[in-house]
Amino acid sequence: MRLTKQRIIGTLVATLVLSLLLVSSMVEDWGRLSDGPGNLIIFINESLWPPDWSVIEPQAYPVCTVYPLFDFTCSTAWIGMVETIKIAFASTVFGMIISLPISLLAARNLNPTWVSLPARLALSVCRSLPSIIWAIFFVILVGFGPFSGVLAMTVYTVGYLGKLQYEAIEGLSRTPLDASRAMGLSKIETALGVVIPESANELISQMIFMFEYNFRHGTVIGIVGAGGIGYYINLYLKFLQYDKVIAYLIIILVVVVIIDFFSIYARSFFNEEGDSRRPSWLDIFIPEILRR
Amino acid sequence: MKMSSKMLSAQKLSKIENMGDESIPKGIENNRSESEWWDLEANSQSPVVSLRNLVIGYSSKDPLAEIPSLDIFPGEIVAIAGPSGIGKTTLLRTIAGIVRPISGDVRVCGFTSPSLPKRGQVGYIPQRLGLVRHATVMHNVLLGSNASHSPRLGIFSSRKAKNEAKSAIISMGLEEKINEPVRRLSGGQQRRVATARTLAQSPSLIMADEFLSELDEETMKVVLNKVTEFVRKSKSALLFVEHDISRAKSVADRLLVIDDGRVNPFITETTALEVST
Repeated sequence: MRLTKQRIIGTLVATLVLSLLLVSSMVEDWGRLSDGPGNLIIFINESLWPPDWSVIEPQAYPVCTVYPLFDFTCSTAWIGMVETIKIAFASTVFGMIISLPISLLAARNLNPTWVSLPARLALSVCRSLPSIIWAIFFVILVGFGPFSGVLAMTVYTVGYLGKLQYEAIEGLSRTPLDASRAMGLSKIETALGVVIPESANELISQMIFMFEYNFRHGTVIGIVGAGGIGYYINLYLKFLQYDKVIAYLIIILVVVVIIDFFSIYARSFFNEEGDSRRPSWLDIFIPEILRR
Repeated sequence: MKMSSKMLSAQKLSKIENMGDESIPKGIENNRSESEWWDLEANSQSPVVSLRNLVIGYSSKDPLAEIPSLDIFPGEIVAIAGPSGIGKTTLLRTIAGIVRPISGDVRVCGFTSPSLPKRGQVGYIPQRLGLVRHATVMHNVLLGSNASHSPRLGIFSSRKAKNEAKSAIISMGLEEKINEPVRRLSGGQQRRVATARTLAQSPSLIMADEFLSELDEETMKVVLNKVTEFVRKSKSALLFVEHDISRAKSVADRLLVIDDGRVNPFITETTALEVST
């Protein structure tokens, strides 16, 4: 079928109308929504705002012994945040180590179907359950704490990162693989000498993205007792102390933005050509329009 | 339809045969004497490549070309020419064991398809070179290095393999670029890296797809001399695809022209000797 302008617009409009009809079938009473904004404002004014910044004050117990200027490091926000970053980092590294060999097996341009299919299935299984469900399993298996968080995030990372990796590998140009096959390189030599160096930029970029992703999700898995800042968020949610919860959320937002900036900088070392100008810190923190 | 295209091809061939050698850079002429040609024909050695009733292509419903019989002997340089899309690259890929033949036999270095020759016996320079663009020149050439029992993996390679790779890089005039990522090199330099990779391999058969394109005249002479010298000395064979027929004739012992058609044999053989007479 030939793609014409009318057909493209028609398909887009039809998809949008279908989506609206689906949503409409799910809402019984549209009138009920009219109170929504008012309720939200009341909730924000009475429970959420202003944030309770006591979360960055040192805890009463254990007694904080650090220099007063750094006593925020004894706060629940700092302790939770550092734990979340540790969980995200460890699970990204372990996830990368486990997922890379599996994704090399899962790539259809490197292996026959009888090898790639089971590898893809294994990655799908890891990915099919969200990290919070894996966290519940591992909390039951190894108990509460950050270790179960690391295990849960590692399994999810294997599934998610593995998919990104085998898609990057399948997108490789065919000619280096043809040449290595004709030269008689073994599978391992091809994987280590051709596939990984050729897709290294994408693999590293994906790993940095996964670290960001794991950090954001690391804040959630604490809710089921798998450590990190999520543990404290869950605690204060139970006590309906939403002003403390919003303080944690603001801290998470700030850290996510900082990690995102670091990620932009780190990924610039691995861009396609590798020769383009790397952004300066000024470029990252101040939008171009303000620098003119 | 087929007849007319065949006639066209015949016309093209006659034009080719009448072409002058103005486009051939000096220093790369084929200097074989008539007696050497007879020696070549009477070659009693077993062929490096032996094709019998070969049909190539990607689908049995749509075969690209038929090769009834072809033998390439050690020390021989054979060029393949023909219009675009006729199956020249597919023929190389089939001999390299990358594409399965639709039917017929492919025997390379004593191994009949689907068995592949031993590690390093076949050197292949694809049209798009097949280099690891993000890796260094050294890493790429080491992939071809055939030093015995050495893993062909950069830092894990043996000293012998590294020395072999280094001398191949130097022979291609790339010693200053040895640690540069390939992506930063020009098209011609990348072509030289691919050639160095193949020379480091010391293969029994070199297959090259348009390996002289993008090279300036001077570099082309160097590359060609190195490759032909290697082929003659080591008694390996060179099979290459070349769109510039006059250049192909000047370099090759035999020129194979793949013509249009499916059922009838359409691989014709000519020699530089025939052309010169």
